Amino acid sequence: MKALTWPALTWPALTALAGAVVLAAMWHVSVGARPVALTEVWRALVAPDPALFDHTVVRDLRLPRALSAAAVGAALAVAGALMQAVTRNPLAEPATLGLMAGASSAVVLGIGWFGLAGSAWIPLFAACGSVAAAVMVWGLAGAVPGGTRPLTLILAGSAVATFLGAIDGAVLLLDEEAFRMLRVWMVGTLSGADMDRLGYALPWGAAGMLAALAIARPLTALALGDDTAQGLGLPVARIRAVALLAVVALTAAAVSVAGLLGFVGLVIPHVVRLLAGADYARILPISALAGAAYLTAIDTVARIALAPSEVATGLMTAIIGAPVFLWLVRTRA
Amino acid sequence: MTTTAGPFGTRLSRRGVTALVGLALLCMGVLALSLMTGSYGLPLTQVWATLTGTPPEEMAATVVFQFRLPRTLVALACGAMLALSGAVLQGLTRNGLADPALLGISQGAALAVVTLIVLFPQAPHGLRPPLAFAGSLIAAGLVQGLASGARGAGPLRLVLAGVGLSAFLSALTSTLLTHGNLQDAQSALGWLSGSVNTAGWDEVRNLGLVALLLIPATVALARPLGPLRFAPEVAQGLGLSLPRSRVGAALLAVAAAAAATAAAGPLGFVGLIAPHMAARLARTGPGLHLALTAVMGALVVASADLIGRTLFAPAQLPAGLVTAVIGVPVFALLLIRGGTNSQP
Repeated sequence: MKALTWPALTWPALTALAGAVVLAAMWHVSVGARPVALTEVWRALVAPDPALFDHTVVRDLRLPRALSAAAVGAALAVAGALMQAVTRNPLAEPATLGLMAGASSAVVLGIGWFGLAGSAWIPLFAACGSVAAAVMVWGLAGAVPGGTRPLTLILAGSAVATFLGAIDGAVLLLDEEAFRMLRVWMVGTLSGADMDRLGYALPWGAAGMLAALAIARPLTALALGDDTAQGLGLPVARIRAVALLAVVALTAAAVSVAGLLGFVGLVIPHVVRLLAGADYARILPISALAGAAYLTAIDTVARIALAPSEVATGLMTAIIGAPVFLWLVRTRA
Repeated sequence: MTTTAGPFGTRLSRRGVTALVGLALLCMGVLALSLMTGSYGLPLTQVWATLTGTPPEEMAATVVFQFRLPRTLVALACGAMLALSGAVLQGLTRNGLADPALLGISQGAALAVVTLIVLFPQAPHGLRPPLAFAGSLIAAGLVQGLASGARGAGPLRLVLAGVGLSAFLSALTSTLLTHGNLQDAQSALGWLSGSVNTAGWDEVRNLGLVALLLIPATVALARPLGPLRFAPEVAQGLGLSLPRSRVGAALLAVAAAAAATAAAGPLGFVGLIAPHMAARLARTGPGLHLALTAVMGALVVASADLIGRTLFAPAQLPAGLVTAVIGVPVFALLLIRGGTNSQP
């Protein structure tokens, strides 16, 4: 296997990517309506001085958002890689298969109906919603003649996502209070990300990440085909189940922090596979760091591109990700 | 092919004509209901009095002529246009899942119109329909080009290319709206999900003009469209000048979708469901099928608008949300039945 011939490069690659994440985060924190010099950002992080206004801006306002961007990017990239491996479908990711729409519908209902704003229950709602959406998507695709084809699955995902999106839109238009809170969140944004929300989502994200890394090695075999995996004596059903649970936990964590951010889970794993080969023990950690760096950088661009108004992060990820999706539809599916 | 009464027959089937009359009556019924209902209720007699020039009070005339009549007319016209567009697209691509909003064609129009509004706020309204047409045309070309790979444009690939293109174009449109800050967010969201809330006589005039141009063109194209439902070889075997018919039909479909989108925003699934519903009502020749489809589309959108504004009054749901909630299950059903290749 090509991947095994340069395992030595994994650690340098991970280190370089971790550096990229830190750089992207520092860029993220330093730009804005009140620019803060990079050296000052560094000082605010290592030796904060509460008397300095710049340090307060960095630590209380901008750092939570940068950390959220990195965490959400990592979660979505790993979730996308897992889904592509398990379904062997190059177009699979939490957004294209409707899981994100399910999660966000459940959150909209939770906030609009049960008034759960800012509560620790939001990731749980999101998780239940994404499981429900997954059941709907696979149920629909399974009912289609020849439904195992990759395109059918994605089409089912897009139908379910459209349906749930319409319902969300109706709920939000009917409830002005919820609309005010969720309007930007619905298209995916990191503005207003705070440490509380990140804290509630973090256990879910961490659990999903650990589960993903635990099945990374058997996943490589599974991605080559069920027969290969079974021939190697791997418990295929159990690996699938763990992967699905990990995807659900990661999606729930990402959605409860940032709403609907499409295409991150699609773009990053493909780029990573291009560079790192087919070994998921390498793909997953590299995807996590690459996703973190990518979303942090994208969010920075979203903040400054049309300053003083801010582009929703989900619009930026779609503008970059949708052409990749189209290219994959054209070449791979 | 002129005298046979098969699927291509020009002889009108009785069932088809009955269905057409019934649907037209239903449209009139929805129009009447729509003029009657709202926060200012009017009984049918008073609506009639208002329309014939003797309103019971000043308020009735304002409500009917300023708000309810234009929006309902726009809903009817948009529905007819989108349904025609969908029927022609389904025939052209031989894909039962084709729909101007699913293929990104409506989103191309929306992007063009929003670009005009944001970058040139002073531009006259009359520029919007031609620009919408240009935007849709580009989107249609893109989706066709993207879907036709080395392995040809399979039906699912075409729809998926449309899904990707729609996502891209809608993201650009929303970004422009963020930048432009021209409307408050709620009304922008309303327009982007397809709504006739703000439709006035300008839109009625534009749509009416387009309808006058397009309906004769559709009739002229109806007969070539019949054979187009089959493989290109069959159509050529029937002596059809294929490229010219296809280009004409494609331009027609794109123009109809663009006109509707310029007035009401991208309204999804109407072009998908109307032709299938029309075909279930009556199996007829292509000409009557197109007429049935148009009236069915008008009925669907006018009803969706009526439902959207009365179900949760005083809150108004855009018609596009209602059509999506109805349309997705139909889409799923068509997928399950293998509707990608079946023809209306």
